[in-house]
Amino acid sequence: MSPSPELHVVESTDPLAVPRRVALVRPDTRPAVRRSDERYVMTFPHLIVREVILFQVVVIALSLAAFVFDAPLEGIANPIETPNPAKAPWYFLGLQELLHYFPPIVAGVLLPGLVVLSLAVIPYARINLTAGPLWSPGGRRLALALAAVTAALFILFGAFGCWPIAVPTLLTAGAMFAARGGAEGGRLRRALARVTLPEWIMTWFVVIATLLTVIGTFFRGPGWTLVWPWSGPI
Amino acid sequence: MSEESERRESPGPAGTSRRDFLTRIGGGACAVAGAGSLVVTLDFLKPKVLFEPPTVFRAGSAVDYPEGTVRFNREQRAYVIGGGGGVFALSAVCTHLGCITRYLSDERAIACPCHGSRFDLEGNVVHGPAPRPLPWLEVTADAAGNLVVDSSIIIPHGKVTRA
Amino acid sequence: MSAARISMADWLRGSAVYRSIVRHGTADTNRNRSLVIFENLFLHVHPVKVREKTLRFSHTYWLGGVTLVSCLVLIATGILLMFYYHPSVPQAYRDMKELNYVVDNGLFLRNLHRWAAHLMVFAAFLHMLRVFYHRAYRPPRQFNWVVGIVLLIVTLFLSYTGYLLPWDQLAFWGVSVGTNMAKEAPLVGEKIRFLLLGGNVVSENALLRFYVLHCVVLPVALLLFLSVHIWRIRKDGGVQGPPTDADDPRQEEAE
Ligand code: HEM
Ligand code: FES
Repeated sequence: MSPSPELHVVESTDPLAVPRRVALVRPDTRPAVRRSDERYVMTFPHLIVREVILFQVVVIALSLAAFVFDAPLEGIANPIETPNPAKAPWYFLGLQELLHYFPPIVAGVLLPGLVVLSLAVIPYARINLTAGPLWSPGGRRLALALAAVTAALFILFGAFGCWPIAVPTLLTAGAMFAARGGAEGGRLRRALARVTLPEWIMTWFVVIATLLTVIGTFFRGPGWTLVWPWSGPI
Repeated sequence: MSEESERRESPGPAGTSRRDFLTRIGGGACAVAGAGSLVVTLDFLKPKVLFEPPTVFRAGSAVDYPEGTVRFNREQRAYVIGGGGGVFALSAVCTHLGCITRYLSDERAIACPCHGSRFDLEGNVVHGPAPRPLPWLEVTADAAGNLVVDSSIIIPHGKVTRA
Repeated sequence: MSAARISMADWLRGSAVYRSIVRHGTADTNRNRSLVIFENLFLHVHPVKVREKTLRFSHTYWLGGVTLVSCLVLIATGILLMFYYHPSVPQAYRDMKELNYVVDNGLFLRNLHRWAAHLMVFAAFLHMLRVFYHRAYRPPRQFNWVVGIVLLIVTLFLSYTGYLLPWDQLAFWGVSVGTNMAKEAPLVGEKIRFLLLGGNVVSENALLRFYVLHCVVLPVALLLFLSVHIWRIRKDGGVQGPPTDADDPRQEEAE
C-alpha cells in the first residue's frame, strides 16, 4: 500500500451560512470540497432570475439587430461565374487567408488539425495544470530555447511570406522577454511576469487568428489583393 | 452455487473459461455487426448515378482554331486553344480551390479571381498559390475534322491534336 | 379591482389542475424554493443552492449562457423557416426571395436566424477563451473541456452547412472553395468530399445533404453533447471563476 496522504483540517468560518462543522480534507480532493465553507444562496430565485434576464437581454439585442440589418442574399448560385472576390463566412476567413500563403494541404488540413488537436489536449498536458509563471530566477536555458523557437518560427513563416503570423510571433516573444525579471518591475511588467506559458501560447494564437480574420474580412479585394476597407464595397 | 463456481473455474481447451469464451464471441459479433453496418451505410451514401453535366462536348472544326485562338466554353469550364502544332483543351477550373479562371486577352494569360493564381496559355503556373498547372483535356478529331473534347479524361501536357 | 385580480391568481394556484402540475406552494420559504428546482425536469440540472460567488458577472461573463440562448433562438427560428424552405434547385433560392419579400415577417425571421448564428459562433469562441484564462479546464473539468471542443466544432459545421442553403452566389462559392480544401486531406480527402457533396461538384445532391445535416444530424449531435456539457457542470461542482490561490495546486505543493 502507498503511504496515506497527509490530512488537513478545515474549519467553517461562517456559522450563519453553514452549520459549524469540521471536515477532514485530503489534499487530493476536488476543489469543490475544498471550498465548502463558502456562502451559498438559493438557486431560485437568485440564479433563475439572472438566467431569465440573460435570455431577455440576448433576445432583445438579436431582435434589434434583425430589425436593423438584413441578412445578405446575392444572385442565384451560378457554377460558371465566380464572384470576385469569393469570400467564406467570417469565421473561416482566417483559414482562407492562410490559403493565400500556404499550399492547401498545410493551410486547409495540417494547421487546422493541429489547432483542434492542441485545444483538445489542453487539460491533459501537465504544463497546463501546474500553471507556474514563465520565468524562474536565472532562466538562461528557457531564454535560449525561447529565442531559438521564435527564430525558427519567424524564419519558417517569413519564408512563406506570411507576415501576419511572423510579426505577432516576434511581438509575443518580445513581450515574453519583457516579463523576465518583471516581478521587481513596474505594474505592467509585474502583470506580465505572472502570465504562464500556456497563456502566452493561447494569446499568441488568439492574436494571430484575430489578425488573419480581420485582414481576410476587411482588407482583401478582387483577386485577393490587399485593399483598404473604405476603398470599395466589401 | 458450488456447481456454478466449478463451471466457471474449469478451463476450456485453450485455457479460457466458458464465460470468457462467450463474452468474446458476443463482443466479436457486436464489433462485426457494427463494422458491417458502417460499411453498408457508407456505401448507401455513395450516389450511384450522377446527374452532372455531360463531360463530352463538340468544339467545332479544327480549322476554326488558327494559332493563338483561345475559346472559353463556359458550360464546360474549358478553354479550347489553337497552338502551334494543333488544337488542345485546358480545364478552366483553378487547381488551387476550384474557382473558374478567366482569360485575359490583352495579357494573354489566364487568371483566377479567388486567390490570385496566374497561368500561361499552356496551363503552366506563372505564380501561385495554385499548386499544379491546369490539366490538359482529351481532344479527338473525327474524319471530317470535327473536334470532340472529353473533360473527364486528362492527358499529358503538350499532346496536341492535329486535324 | 386589483383585489379581484389577486384572488383570481390565488384561485388559479389553488385549483386542482394547477396543484396537479405544480405540487409546491408559492416560493416564499426556502423549502418551497428548493422544490421549485427539484420538482422541475428542466430546472433540476441546477443544484438547489449555488455558491454566491458564482453569480458574479466576472465569474463567467455569462458567455456560455449567451451561447446557449442564441442556440435556443436558432432552433425556434430554424423550425419556422423550415415551413417555407425546399432543399432543391432552384426552388431554394426562390424560397429565400419569398421569405424576403412575400411572407409576413419572413425577412425578420431570416435575419434573426442569421445573426443568432453569428452570435453563437462568436460567443462560443469567447466562452472557450474565458474558460481557458480562468483555468477552468483543470480536474475535475478536463472532460467537459473536451466536450466543449466538440460543441465548438459542431457549431462551426452547423453554420457552414447552413451557409449553403440559400443557394445564392455567396453560398455556392463559399462551399465550393471550402469543400475543395477537404479534398487536400491525404488518402481520404477526395472520398470524404464525394460523400459530403453526393457528387463531384456542388449540386442539388449537395444541397439536400447539407440540408439533412443542418436540420437533423448536426442539431441532434449538438443537443446530445450540450446535455452532457450542462450536466457535467453540476457534476463537476458548479462553475469555476477566476483562479484563486485556493485552487492553485502550487499553493498546496508549497505548503
Ligand atoms: C455550443 C457551445 C457551448 C455552449 C452552449 C456552452 C454552454 C456552457 C454553459 C452555459 C456553461 C456554464 C458556465 C458559463 O457560462 O461559462 C459552460 C461551462 C463550461 N464550458 Fe461550455 N458551452 C459551449 C462550448 C464550450 C467550448 C467551446 C468549451 C471549451 C473548449 C467549453 C468548455 C466549458 C467548460 C470547461 C465549462 C465549465 C467551466 C467552469 O466550470 O467554470 N464549452 N458551458
Ligand atoms: S481558387 Fe484559384 S487561386 Fe485559389
